[in-house]
Amino acid sequence: MKALVIVGHGSHLNEDSSLPVYEHAALVRDRYAGEFDEVVECFWKEEPSMRHVLDLVESEDIYVVPAFISEGYFTQQVIPRELGLSGPVTRRDGRTIRYAGPLGTYEGMPDVILERVDDLLEGKETRPGRTALVLLGHGTDLNKNSSGVIYLNAERIRERGVYDLVEVGFLDQDPPIAEVVGGVEAENVVLIPVFIAEGWHTRETIPEDLGLTGEVTEMADRTVFYGAPVGTHPSVADLIVSRARETDEREAELARDVS
Amino acid sequence: MRATSPERSGGEAPRRNTAAEARTAFAAWVEEAPGGRSFGQIVVRPLPEGGYELRHAADAGLPDGDLDVHVDPREAREIAKLTEGGEYRPLKSSPNLRRGWLLRVEGERGLYVAMNYLYPSAVVHWHLHRSGELEITTYRENAARQSGIYKRVQRLSDEGVQNAARACCEDAVCLKKTLWDVDENTPLESERGEGEIPCPEPCSIFVSFARRVRLFERENKRDLDAIGLSPSEKEDLSALVEAAATGSVPLAREAEFEEPLNERRMRYRRLTLVPKLRPDGDAATPEEG
Repeated sequence: MKALVIVGHGSHLNEDSSLPVYEHAALVRDRYAGEFDEVVECFWKEEPSMRHVLDLVESEDIYVVPAFISEGYFTQQVIPRELGLSGPVTRRDGRTIRYAGPLGTYEGMPDVILERVDDLLEGKETRPGRTALVLLGHGTDLNKNSSGVIYLNAERIRERGVYDLVEVGFLDQDPPIAEVVGGVEAENVVLIPVFIAEGWHTRETIPEDLGLTGEVTEMADRTVFYGAPVGTHPSVADLIVSRARETDEREAELARDVS
Repeated sequence: MRATSPERSGGEAPRRNTAAEARTAFAAWVEEAPGGRSFGQIVVRPLPEGGYELRHAADAGLPDGDLDVHVDPREAREIAKLTEGGEYRPLKSSPNLRRGWLLRVEGERGLYVAMNYLYPSAVVHWHLHRSGELEITTYRENAARQSGIYKRVQRLSDEGVQNAARACCEDAVCLKKTLWDVDENTPLESERGEGEIPCPEPCSIFVSFARRVRLFERENKRDLDAIGLSPSEKEDLSALVEAAATGSVPLAREAEFEEPLNERRMRYRRLTLVPKLRPDGDAATPEEG
């Protein structure tokens, strides 16, 4: 039997945080019913905890996919520690547990971002002139990977040549998002948060700091289109499955490395 | 699996499937009681036509027609998400499960799915506890592996752990039966709980609360004023007085421990602040009048 375990951060304070994990799990159950016998959610701050989730799983082949954007403290330290993983492949008590990489660095992520943009712009009028895509990341000076994944996706989208400009901005590091959205030389600015879930930042601090009134905000010299976080897009469910499948492809080599 | 490792007899031995065993054992336990079993705040009973019915224990006597009927076991997640008043429930074993619903599920798999949303991990831990195989992790073992903002819980005193457990884990605020201790030689002194759901290890809510109590401990040492009150104790008293003076005391969210008017934080204050304010009286005895 095969199980997919989706790991989310979760929250002690609001239900938004875990919602995408539950929604993606439900989509995987529907779309990939023949591939996974079980699809189980677990969290750092909610129940079931990462610490106990494997107790609930009946399958012997387990794929763990972190619903996190970047490689960092959680994916490298907290998740492996709490799940008792020794590396990309852990064999324990007759089970094989494969640990996938985070979502943001996956090669399929730019497609999800562009789908999010299409959903946002559908049926909306843009101004004549240039259109800039701005990817918004949380960013932190504590870990370069947090911004690195945003730059990586910007570069991958830039290579496709779909937008006149592709820029990045952050909440907690330079360049600050307000400067990027206000300063980019384009008549249309499409702003997409590269976050997993809706929350305090996406609902309150970001609209407030940027003076946004909703999905479309007309400013003197530009129109700003503000999208929902990438992580809530239904295509992320497919991305999670792709991440899980990828662990099979690299398993033989990695298993040799860790044993 | 940690819980099954003592059973391991070698690499070739068939794997013991604890989760599947728990699923079957729980269903059998329910089948043995046609009148229903209580578990946490719910009653589960086998249906004569097959399948199982779950509802809030306080709704046990209500006709089905008075309740919202659900048949998809995954709808248990929505049932368990918010309190009656619409507040988010970060801890599913808090005694604030809403009423007014009825869930009919087919087969033991449906029952297992529903139970894991109503009381995550509870069925498998219940099963392992009954068979004497549930692995317990003490507070100190749990704290030793914490990192980042939670690393400071390693320095919480034994007394701090005891009071945090009394404030955070007793049946008034969590229906799990607390099985862990401070460490191997220091048992918890709080009431461990009467319910069916074992708690084998401090949960993330507890660790977050322990972090707050550790912050209180630190200020106690350095920041006491002339009458022995700490800055956060004075903050809490002020918030309480100001709120009560308006005619209502709106409590902070369940796990919002940095807010003065949080129930668990107030429970901690009852243990540690009230004795300071009433040095001669029994904190638990209300004044007459």
